[in-house]
Amino acid sequence: MKRQVPIVLCFLTGAFVVVAFFIGHPLVVDLNEKLDELLIIVTAFALVLGVVSFAQHHTKKIQRKQKDWRNSIVSLTSLGLMAFLGLFESMLKSGAVIGDRPAFDWLFTYAFTPLQATMFSLLAFMIASAAFRAFRIKNVEAAVLMIAAVIVMLGRVPIGQYILPHSLEISEWIMNNPNLAAQRGILIGAALGAASMAIRVILGIERPYMGGAGD
Amino acid sequence: MDDAQKIGGIDKRWVYILVAVGALIPILMPMGLPVKTTPAVEQLFDRMESFEPGQVVMVSFDYGPSSAPELDPMADAVLRHCFVKGLRVVVISLFPLGGDNQAKQALYKVAEEFPVVEGEDYVYLGYKDGGLAVLRRMAEDISIVFPKDTRGVEYSEIPLLQDVWNYSDIEISVSLSTGIIGEWWAILVNAQFGQPVGVGATAVSAPKYYAYLKAGQMVGLMGGMKGGAEYEVLLGNAYPELKSRSNVAIKGMDVQSIVHLIIIAFILMGNLVYLFSRSERKRAGGRLGSQ
Repeated sequence: MKRQVPIVLCFLTGAFVVVAFFIGHPLVVDLNEKLDELLIIVTAFALVLGVVSFAQHHTKKIQRKQKDWRNSIVSLTSLGLMAFLGLFESMLKSGAVIGDRPAFDWLFTYAFTPLQATMFSLLAFMIASAAFRAFRIKNVEAAVLMIAAVIVMLGRVPIGQYILPHSLEISEWIMNNPNLAAQRGILIGAALGAASMAIRVILGIERPYMGGAGD
Repeated sequence: MDDAQKIGGIDKRWVYILVAVGALIPILMPMGLPVKTTPAVEQLFDRMESFEPGQVVMVSFDYGPSSAPELDPMADAVLRHCFVKGLRVVVISLFPLGGDNQAKQALYKVAEEFPVVEGEDYVYLGYKDGGLAVLRRMAEDISIVFPKDTRGVEYSEIPLLQDVWNYSDIEISVSLSTGIIGEWWAILVNAQFGQPVGVGATAVSAPKYYAYLKAGQMVGLMGGMKGGAEYEVLLGNAYPELKSRSNVAIKGMDVQSIVHLIIIAFILMGNLVYLFSRSERKRAGGRLGSQ
């Protein structure tokens, strides 16, 4: 029963959504819309699941004093503080203000945003270092890739046209032809893979929702 | 250790310092390099330009602070374009990690520059979790997904939304997105519901969007800071009064120019060192073999 009910539910809902796409009957359309609403609610629960999993992971780390466990204290405190302010700020309006802004907004703007921006900006440094150490012309394919990369990099910046005339036009050609062909191939392959995976899940061959594929 | 090996083993902190200096100099001394526009951005701008005052545009903030340097200038430029043309703007957010705040910051900042009124000329409906399901449901009834705006006003009481119930009442949806959300707009909202879609994407994800652009599933595409700079150039040419305000990405292109050159120089230097070391090794191997 514990195995069959989820499989039957998965089959019925999955098959219904596929069939409903081709049927315009108001009853089917209505039920399909209700399923969409249900999906929005269920997806919101995934956030709760994520928070619980995050809290469990870091609590264990602190309890066992694993490597960098002090960072986990910061993570959990930040999670608790932001969640508290986000959920109860309206009740604490007079007290939860920093400067002229709500505390949640202030922390987001002056703590979270710079931290995220810092992490992302480090990419420029890492890419420069990686380009120097790892981007080696070891064969013809690597040479083609490097030449294309250099042209696109020049084409994407204004100074490129002074170094390599028509770099913008060549870069656009690369994006619109070889890149496009490769992207289409990847997208079609991924779409076929996703469709076949969906069929396997609907038919109960794959059961990741039961805690593991094929369980 | 020969010279090539010495150069190859350069401390990466020198690389970092060079990139930092390369990024800093154009900020302190702007070069004002001219930005050329491309058809992908021109198509989006021209479509926006073709709308009449009062028509409705949806702008979806599908990114967080990590992508803000690239996508914020696009958001500002698109919103300014809407307001300067008198278009009505419906703003939503689908990105969980800060999309809501990005939307609020950009919308209220730009709205202050124009004589526009919240609820009449623009409205912010907030963030909603659920991704594809949200996009699907909005095709039938937006008010089911967003029953109130972020001020708490009921959907049915917002003047702007009195004739806006689903995609058929919206001229175009522009998604400023990181990751996969922009693709959802193209493969679902455009392909299934026929809604014209424009996407502003980070540079790293822009290449995949060319497939949707060429397939006609997107009206136009702004890729990375360059895309934002192009939109700013087009906006500045069409509305000179906005030139001094809408130029963040244009200024950023100076920095990007120098950093790209540094990276290219490192790629070339790394390969020269590699080729030189390889020929040295071959020569040494040849000598050993002949002994």
